[in-house]
Amino acid sequence: MVQLVGSLRKELADSLSSCRVLVVGAGGIGCELLKNLVLTGFKNIEVIDLDTIDVSNLNRQFLFQKKHVGKSKAQVAKESALQFCPTANITAYHDSIMNPDYNVEFFRNFMLVMNALDNRAARNHVNRMCLAADIPLIESGTAGYLGQVTVIKKGLTECYECQPKPSQKTFPGCTIRNTPSEPIHCIVWAKYLFNQLFGEEDADQEVSPDTADPEAAWNPEEAAARATASEKDGDIKRVSTKEWARSTGYDSIKLFNKLFKDDIMYLLTMDKLWKKRKAPLPLDWQQLENHALFNEDSPGSGLKDQQVLGIWGYCKLFQHSVETLRSQLEQKGDGAELVWDKDDPPAMDFVTAAANLRMHIFSMNMKSRFDIKSMAGNIIPAIATTNAVIAGLIVLEGLKILSGELESCRSVSSSTANYPEVISLVTYEEPYDELEECQRSPDYFFCTVFDTFP
Amino acid sequence: MIDMIEKEEPIISEEEAAQYDRQIRLWGLDAQKRLRGSRVLLVGLGGLGAEVAKNLILAGVKGLTLLDHEQVTEESCRAQFLVPVTARGQNRAQASLERAQYLNPMVEVRAYPDRPEDKPDDFFLQFDAVCLTGCSRDLMVRVDQLCSQRNIKVFCGDVYGYYGYMFSDLASINPTTTASFCSLKEALEVDWTSEKAKASLKRTPVDYFLLHVLLKFRTDKGRDPDPQSFAEDSQLLRQIRDDVLESLAVSGDLLSDDFVSYCFSEMSPVCAVVGGVLGQEVVKALSQRDAPHRNFFFFDGRKGNGVVDYFGPN
Repeated sequence: MVQLVGSLRKELADSLSSCRVLVVGAGGIGCELLKNLVLTGFKNIEVIDLDTIDVSNLNRQFLFQKKHVGKSKAQVAKESALQFCPTANITAYHDSIMNPDYNVEFFRNFMLVMNALDNRAARNHVNRMCLAADIPLIESGTAGYLGQVTVIKKGLTECYECQPKPSQKTFPGCTIRNTPSEPIHCIVWAKYLFNQLFGEEDADQEVSPDTADPEAAWNPEEAAARATASEKDGDIKRVSTKEWARSTGYDSIKLFNKLFKDDIMYLLTMDKLWKKRKAPLPLDWQQLENHALFNEDSPGSGLKDQQVLGIWGYCKLFQHSVETLRSQLEQKGDGAELVWDKDDPPAMDFVTAAANLRMHIFSMNMKSRFDIKSMAGNIIPAIATTNAVIAGLIVLEGLKILSGELESCRSVSSSTANYPEVISLVTYEEPYDELEECQRSPDYFFCTVFDTFP
Repeated sequence: MIDMIEKEEPIISEEEAAQYDRQIRLWGLDAQKRLRGSRVLLVGLGGLGAEVAKNLILAGVKGLTLLDHEQVTEESCRAQFLVPVTARGQNRAQASLERAQYLNPMVEVRAYPDRPEDKPDDFFLQFDAVCLTGCSRDLMVRVDQLCSQRNIKVFCGDVYGYYGYMFSDLASINPTTTASFCSLKEALEVDWTSEKAKASLKRTPVDYFLLHVLLKFRTDKGRDPDPQSFAEDSQLLRQIRDDVLESLAVSGDLLSDDFVSYCFSEMSPVCAVVGGVLGQEVVKALSQRDAPHRNFFFFDGRKGNGVVDYFGPN
């Protein structure tokens, strides 16, 4: 005779109350997942997250309120969940899952691990730990309206690293330094500039005109000549941007004129670049200031961040942010470096201003701080409903695993790609023969394929 | 005549912009403003209702009114996360109010303990959208008929164990799109005896017929299948299945006995999925962005897939 506890068969309900599960991440998916787990009847849950609560989390991470901003996500998530299920046994860790304390033995404590992460490094790490411990892992992710859930089990399915994942898009150096054609090129340039001036200098993040640009040369001999000339031409290459800036005392107007006038004028001498492209128009601080006195920008109505200022507005923003960042640097002392952070207002102001000035120079329409922040900060839009759906699907897969129905597990995606099936199942790929290495040997945490896809 | 006065364009404050940042980046500021000006009625604060309440409150509507005459039971504590465990015996809507409001103080949340059947027509007409969960078929048909005439968007949804559905009626008196919606009555009263209907039966999700069975159970018993009376309710479900399929003139083989033990109570993850889809449909309709699902969404928590399908006059 079938016995039910709520919707579940009694045997399943009993196994839920005794098993231990781990939730990695207490953010968008994590909050929804924690709620589903306790309501479904899971009694022993551990949740880990290194992050603290931010106001922009509150549109979807519903276990948090305004008063919790700044506190540990894992800790507050636990407290909120206990409010509606006081009998649940929840352990919260305000820590990184990559901390060596959470070793293979730690993972072996759990019957099931569920990822609720937002970055590849942590996902790779948990993937390897679960393979090593031979514990089923439910991987998931969301972005905007799309989401996906995948079960990973050693010997049965591909692991997270079996398929190469696309890496972040990069742009050629000469596009960034000489011939930007899209706002993103200018934004990347502005972020490089931040690092060159205030942060860790990186040889791959040059901002000055690239005299060795192959496109600039009329013939191969000229290319060679330019390359050697650039080494001799100390003005452009020999002194690092940071050293030069320091030598001026981070004088914002001097900086402005170098970056947005002198360097642009240099680019103009590389005339081949502008044969088929619209040439950049250098800016002059004094001229802009004079012009602005007669044409004062009127402040728009509506949200500040969504407004697009006039050119003088961005000149002033550049000046102001340079001055703020300069004092931040001074306060930190000798040899200090700043790290760019989209949520640090002067850092974001700086990139907004510098990117817009460059866009204007290269005849692109300037953009609001809001839009630039999206691109510079790689912000992924997020809403409550997608996370709710995905977290529901995670628990349903979890129940199959705990019922011993691993073979019936599927990769599930929430999207309109297979309309009218808006939540659709994908049958698993069999693990490839040559990848079995990763799944058999206890010493190999990762697939051999991974080695060939850096 | 419906109110044709243009609503004053809501202003999004800096505080709201900071909180709604990640969703404004998805659906845009105009959509957020339209949400900010919308009032929604939610009937039923069971598992599904709580999920929809959460989703709409987080989305930032102007107001959400909760209506539920039921009392908090032990079952409700298992099903939903808004009701405190100490609220046994209280009205479910009122017990959910505090936690619902905490989700987003910028939304006006209200709660009423009345039976929706006892509410006059006027009550429903003050909203931009109405969302009915845990309601009888008759009530849903009545409210749908009343509201869609006045350009009020109507949504229905339920979760029965592992199964769930949502229905929408976005019929507008001035349809600007080619896609049309029909009434719930028409959607449920499809004639399966016609040749065309018979031919389409193969492609028809059985969930549609399961819905008929569960709605009839609810009408006949005044409640949903209860795990406490598993034996008798299972038998009744099988009987109703036979009756319903016969009355619809479709084959009795369409719905095997299998479903019976999987449609009790409200499963939390299924509530989350259906509540997520339903919540997003309400947001789409209020913000006038993105194509709506026409007109049903069925979710099968055992298989794990969810499908959109249209039922109505051919």
